[in-house]
Amino acid sequence: MSVKIYTTPTCAFCHAEKEFLKEHNIAFEELDVAVNAQAREEMIQKTGQMGVPVTDIDGEIVVGFDRARLKKVLGL
Amino acid sequence: MLDLIIVGASAAGLAASVYAARRRLNFKIITGDVGGEVATSGEIENWPGVIHTTGIELADQFKAHAQANNVVIEEGKWAKRVAREGDFFAVSGDSSNGSGFKDQAKTVLVATGVHPRELNLPGEKEFRNKGLSYCTVCDGPLFSGQAVATVGGGNSVLESAIMLSGIASKVYVVNKNPKFKGEQVLIDKVSHLANVEIIYEAMTQSILGDKFVNGLEYRDKAGAVHKLDVGGVFVHIGQIPNSSFVEGVELNEFKEIKVDLVGRTNIPGLFAAGDVTTIPHKQIVIAAGQGVAALLSIVDYLNKNH
Repeated sequence: MSVKIYTTPTCAFCHAEKEFLKEHNIAFEELDVAVNAQAREEMIQKTGQMGVPVTDIDGEIVVGFDRARLKKVLGL
Repeated sequence: MLDLIIVGASAAGLAASVYAARRRLNFKIITGDVGGEVATSGEIENWPGVIHTTGIELADQFKAHAQANNVVIEEGKWAKRVAREGDFFAVSGDSSNGSGFKDQAKTVLVATGVHPRELNLPGEKEFRNKGLSYCTVCDGPLFSGQAVATVGGGNSVLESAIMLSGIASKVYVVNKNPKFKGEQVLIDKVSHLANVEIIYEAMTQSILGDKFVNGLEYRDKAGAVHKLDVGGVFVHIGQIPNSSFVEGVELNEFKEIKVDLVGRTNIPGLFAAGDVTTIPHKQIVIAAGQGVAALLSIVDYLNKNH
C-alpha cells in the first residue's frame, strides 16, 4: 500500500493526521505543498480544491483529516 | 459512574484534566480533535514562561502533560447532546468508527471552544477550500507568490496579514471599520509591511472566481464597488461558540455559555470554560486558567453533592 499525504508545516490537522498514521503504524510519504510547487499542482489536480491535508492511498483520495474515511480506506 | 466528563481538549479542557487527575477524579475527556483553536494559532508569544512557540507545539505539550497524568482522551468523538438525565448527565454523539456513543457522569465540563464565523456572502460556499479559507495558518502557505486578501478587523486578521506578507506577493487587508480592534504591537507591525495594503471602511460584497478564487469585491464608504484581483481570500471576522448542543444551558446574545467566576452555569453540575463561555477575552492563558477554576469548583460540587 502506498500512502502519500500532502501537507503544510503549519497545518494542525496535517500534524494530527500524521500522528494518527504513526499510531497505526502506517508508513507514508509526506509532500510539503508550501515549498513543493509540483506536489501542490498535483494535489489541486487530484482534488479540485486547495485545503490540506490530502491523503492519497493507492489512488483513493481523502480530503481533510477524516478519521472515519481513513480508517475505512486503510482497512483499520 | 464517572465523576466528570470533560468535553473538548484544547486549553481549557486539557488544563482542567491535569488538575482532575491530580485530584484523583474518575473522569475522561471526550473530544472530536485535540488542540482546537490552540493548534491553529500559528506563532504564540504570550504563553507565560515560553517566549516563543507554535500552536501545534503548545497543543502537543498540553496533550503530553495530560497523558503524563494518565488522562483518558477519547478522540474522534463528537458530542451532539449534553443533557441532565435524572441525577446524572448524559453526553452523546457520533464517533469516527461510524457508531454513536453515550456516556454518563455526575458532572460535565463543556470546553468546546469556537468555530470561525462566515461572511454569508455570494461565492463563499462555492469557493471554500478553492482559494477561500478560514485558517491562514493552515492554508496560507499554498499561496506563495500570489496576491491575496484577508478580511477582518481584529487580532486574527492582523496575525493573518503578518503571516501572509512573508508568503504572498501582495496582501490586502479588508477591514469594514475605520481602524483595527487589536493589539497595538500587531497594528504597528502590519502598517510597516511593504507588501501589505490596508483598506479601511471596506464592506466585502462577494467572492469571485471560476474554478478557484480570482477576486474579491468590496464597497467603499462612498458606495463605489471595487474589485481586488486575488487568488486567495482569508476570512477572520470572529468566531461562533460551539454551544448549541448543551440542553437547557443559558446563553448570551452571542451564543456564549453564561458562567460565573468559577465556571458554574445555570445548571447545577454543568460547568463551562474557555472560549465557549462569556469570558470577554479569548486567550489561551485565560482559557487554561478558567478551565482550572471550573475544575476546582467541580471538586467542591462533587464533595457537597455526591
